[in-house]
Amino acid sequence: MDDAPQIPLGEFEKGVLIMNEGAFGANDGEVYHYDPASGEIKADIFEKKNGRPFAGLIQDMVASEGRLYLVANTGKVEIVDPRDFASIGAVSSGLDISRSLVTANQKVYISDWGPYDANFASPESYIAVVGQLDGGTITDKIPVSSRPEGMYVVGNQLLVACTAAQKMDVISLNTEERSKSLDVKGGPIRFFEAGGNLYLFSRDASKVYFHEINRSNAEIIGTKTVNLAMSTFNFTLTENAEMLIITSTGWPEFNDAIASVNINSGEVLSASIFTGSGLYGIGYDADRREIYVADNNGFQGNGTVIVLDQSGQQQKTLAVGRGPSGFMFK
Amino acid sequence: MVWLIFLFQGFYALVPNTPLAGEMDSNKHSHNHISSIKVLGDTLRLEEVEVFSPPLDKYTHGQQIKTIDQENLRDFQGLGLSEVLQQRTALFLRQYGPGMLASLTMRGTSAGHNAVFWNGLPINSPSLGQTDFSILPVGAFDEVSLHFGSGGALYGTDAIGGAVHLNSKLKFGKGHSFQTDSNLGSFGRWNQQLQYGFSDEKISLRTRIYRNIAENDFPFRNLARPGTPVERQEHAAIQQEGFSQDLAFQIKPNQLISSSVWYNQTEREIQPVMGSNTLDVQQDKNLRWVLDYFNFSGKITWNFKTGLVKEQLTFNASENSTSQFFLIGDLDWEFSPCISSKSGVRFTHIQGDLSTYTTEENRIELYQSTNLKLRDDLNVSINLRQFVYDGILAPFTPSVGADWIIFSKSGDELKFHVNGARSFKLPTLNDRFWVPGGNPDLLPESSWSGELGLSYLLKWSNLRINHQLTHYRMWVDNWIIWLPQGNFWSPENIREVHNKGLEYAFDADYLLGSWAFEVQGNYNWVRATNQTNISENDRSAGKQLPYTPIHNFQSLFGVSRGMIKSYVNYHFTGSRFVATDNVAQLPAYMLWDWGLRTGELQLGALQGRIGFQVSNVFNTSYQVMRLRAMPGRNYQFNIQIRL
Repeated sequence: MDDAPQIPLGEFEKGVLIMNEGAFGANDGEVYHYDPASGEIKADIFEKKNGRPFAGLIQDMVASEGRLYLVANTGKVEIVDPRDFASIGAVSSGLDISRSLVTANQKVYISDWGPYDANFASPESYIAVVGQLDGGTITDKIPVSSRPEGMYVVGNQLLVACTAAQKMDVISLNTEERSKSLDVKGGPIRFFEAGGNLYLFSRDASKVYFHEINRSNAEIIGTKTVNLAMSTFNFTLTENAEMLIITSTGWPEFNDAIASVNINSGEVLSASIFTGSGLYGIGYDADRREIYVADNNGFQGNGTVIVLDQSGQQQKTLAVGRGPSGFMFK
Repeated sequence: MVWLIFLFQGFYALVPNTPLAGEMDSNKHSHNHISSIKVLGDTLRLEEVEVFSPPLDKYTHGQQIKTIDQENLRDFQGLGLSEVLQQRTALFLRQYGPGMLASLTMRGTSAGHNAVFWNGLPINSPSLGQTDFSILPVGAFDEVSLHFGSGGALYGTDAIGGAVHLNSKLKFGKGHSFQTDSNLGSFGRWNQQLQYGFSDEKISLRTRIYRNIAENDFPFRNLARPGTPVERQEHAAIQQEGFSQDLAFQIKPNQLISSSVWYNQTEREIQPVMGSNTLDVQQDKNLRWVLDYFNFSGKITWNFKTGLVKEQLTFNASENSTSQFFLIGDLDWEFSPCISSKSGVRFTHIQGDLSTYTTEENRIELYQSTNLKLRDDLNVSINLRQFVYDGILAPFTPSVGADWIIFSKSGDELKFHVNGARSFKLPTLNDRFWVPGGNPDLLPESSWSGELGLSYLLKWSNLRINHQLTHYRMWVDNWIIWLPQGNFWSPENIREVHNKGLEYAFDADYLLGSWAFEVQGNYNWVRATNQTNISENDRSAGKQLPYTPIHNFQSLFGVSRGMIKSYVNYHFTGSRFVATDNVAQLPAYMLWDWGLRTGELQLGALQGRIGFQVSNVFNTSYQVMRLRAMPGRNYQFNIQIRL
C-alpha cells in the first residue's frame, strides 16, 4: 500500500498554456489555458486567479525552479505558481523593455533592451540580476550588446543572443561581468537544442543560420546556413530534426507561411506547409503531434490559434486572447 | 485666379444687434433647434455691443447645434475642453488620463471623424487627422458650439460624426477692462489667466495670457502590482502657457476687419498605462492666426478670410511639424425673403515636416449653401461641396435638411427636423506618407447619413421645458485602420461601419419666488456596428466598435437664490468594449460633481465671481480607457476679478 499522500494535479499542470502578448499601449497581455482532451479553454487565467489584470505585454513565458515566469516587455516580470497561477512575486521596478529570463544559482537573470535612445535604438541594453527566485529588487545590471533576447546557461556561463548587435555575449556568472562578445551572422534570437547539440537561431532577410555552440568554451564551432528568405524569429522544433519557421513576404502581398527545415542538413523541406496572414507564434505539441499556430487577427480584437496536423492540414481553431504569440505544452 | 472671384467663408454671416446690423439685412432664421446652456446670473451691460456672432446654424436646418457659453465655461477655467465636454454633455471622449490625450467620438464614429474649428479655421492636425481636446484650454476661447451629425457639405473633411467650433467673442463699447481668472485645485492644479481689453465704438482689442499647471499626482489603485497598492500617480505633470490677441476694427460703416492670434504650448509627462514604466514626454506648440474682412452692401455680405495653423508635436526626441495656410472667401446673398445663398471657396496649402517624411499638399474646396423658406413654418437648407486634394476629387458631398414647425402657439412649439447628408474624411498625411507603412493609395473615408427628430418647447407661467429627440443612422465605408503587415503597420480602407442612435436632450427652468431652478439632461444611445472581418479568423463583424459606449447620460440640476447658485452634475458612461471582437469590456461608471458659484460681487471698483467645485464627489474609482488611472475626489476653487 502506498502511503504517500495523493497530491492532486494543479488546474494548469496539464494542457497547453497560450501566451497572449496583448496590444501595444493597452497592456492587455494574458494567458489562456487549453485542455486538448476536453477542448475546454480558460481565458485570462492570471486575472481570474489573482483578481487583477496582468497589466503588461507578455514577451516570454519561462518555467524554471518550480515557478512560471511571465516576462512583460513593458518592464516587469510576474512570477506565478504553475499549478494554479497564484502570484508568488514580481519584479516590478527598474526594468525597461524586458525580453526573456533564465535562472541560475538561485538568481534570476532578465534580458532587457534598456531605454530607447532618440533614434529608437537600444544602446543601454543589459541583463538585470535579481537575487531571489521569487522576484524582488534588481541587484545588478550587466551591460550587454544591443537588444538581448534569448539566454542559455552552460556551466557557469550565461550566453546571451543580442539581436541588433548581431552578437552572442558571454557573461561569467561568477563575476557577473561580460567575458566576451562574439560576432554572429544574422540577428540572433534564441538558443535551442537538437540532437544533443546546442544551437543559436539567427536570421537575416535571405537566410536562416544555426550557429552550433561548444558548451565547454562557449565558442561558435560551426554554422549551418538555410536558404530561406523572409523568415521571422518565430520557430519551433517538431520531430526528426525538423524545424518549422514562420515566413512573411512583407510588402506588398503580406502573405505569411510556415516553412519546414531539416536542422541537420539545413535543407528547406517545404517552403510552405501552411499559409495565412498575421501568423505571430508557433508551437508543437509532441504528445499529440499537432502544430499550434497563432493568428493575431491584426490586433484589432482577440486572436486565434489554428491547430494543424503534422502535414499542415488545419484541424481546428481556438478563440484566444489578444496577440497570441507562444505556447507551453505540458 | 477665377477662384478669387468667389472668395468666401463657409458659415459666417452677421447677426442682428451688431453695429453693422443697420447697414445690412439680418439673416433671420429659426434658432429653435439650438439649445444653449443657460446663463446663471449674467449681467447684461446694454451699452456693450457684440462685434460678431457668426451664426453657425444659418444653413443647418434639420440639424442640431448646442452652444456652451462663457458662463458655463468659467467653472473649467484653464482645464482642457475635454473636461467640459465630459461633464456638460453626453459625448464620450477617449481620455488616456487627466490632461492626457483626449479624442472625441460623435455618433459612434472614430477620433478623427469630427471637424474642429477655431474662429472658422479648421484646426485638426493634417498629419494625425484629429484634435487633442485636452490641450485646448478653457479661457482661450469664449464659446463652444457642437454640431451634431454629418457636416461634410458645410465644413469639408472630417465632419462625419459632427463638428466643434471654438469662437472668440469681442464687444464694442466696453472701454478699458482688466480681468484675472484663477483656478486652484487638487493635485497641484493652478490655472492663471490675465486679460486686458479695450474697446470703443470702432475698435475692440483684447489680450490674454495664461499659464496652467498640474502635478497630477493623484492617488490611484495600481492594479499592475501584487497587492494592488494605492500609489500616487507619477510622471503625469502638465504645464501649459499661451497667449491670444483679438482685434476688431470697423473701417467704415459697412466694412469690418477682425483678427485673432492664439499661441498655445503644452508640455506633458505622458502618464504611463498601469504596468508600464515609460517616461515619455510630449510637447505641443500651436500657433493659429486668422484675419477676416467683411463687406456689407445691401443684401450681400462678402467675407474674405485668411489664416495660418501651425503645430509642432515633439514626442520624446521625435519632432513632427505641420503648417496650414488658408485663403477663404464667400458671398452670402439674401435673394429674397424666402431665399438666401452662400457661395464660397477655400484654398489650403499644407506643409508637413514629420519625423519620417516631408510633404506638401494643396486643397481646394467649392461650396454652395442655400436656404429656402418654403412656408413660414417650413425651412430647408441645401448644401453642396466639392473637395479636391492634389488633383484628386474627394467624394462630392451634398446635404439636405428641413425644419417644420408643426405647432406653434403662445410660445409653445413642436418642431420636426430631418436631414440627409454625405461626408468624408481624407486619409491623413501619416496614413498616406508615414515611413514605413504609409499607403498613398488610400481612398477617403466616406459616409451617408440621415436623421430625423422632434423638439418640443413648452412655456407655462414660470416654467420652460424643452425636449429634443433625434434618431440617426449612418453608413461609413472605406474606414481606415492600421494593420500589422510583416515588420510594420500599414493602413487600409478595409472597414465598413453602420451607426444608429438616439439623442435626447432636456432642459427646463422654473422660477418660484426668489428661487430659480434649472434642470438639463442629455442621453445618447449609440450602436456603431462593424460590418467587416479583416481575415477569416477575425470575429469583429456585427460587433460594437471598441471604446464606444452604448449608453451615455449626463444631467445637471441647478438652484439659485440671490447671489448664490449651486448645482449637482451627474454623468453616466456605459460599459465599453476594449477591442473589436467585444470580448473584454470596461465597467460602466457614474460620477457626481457638486458646485457652488456666486453671481456678480462688487467691492469698490472691483467686480468678481467666486466658484467652488467638487469633482467625483463619491471618490469613484474608474477608468475611461483600460488601465489608465483617473483621479478620485478632487476640488477646485476659481475666482474671477475684474476692474
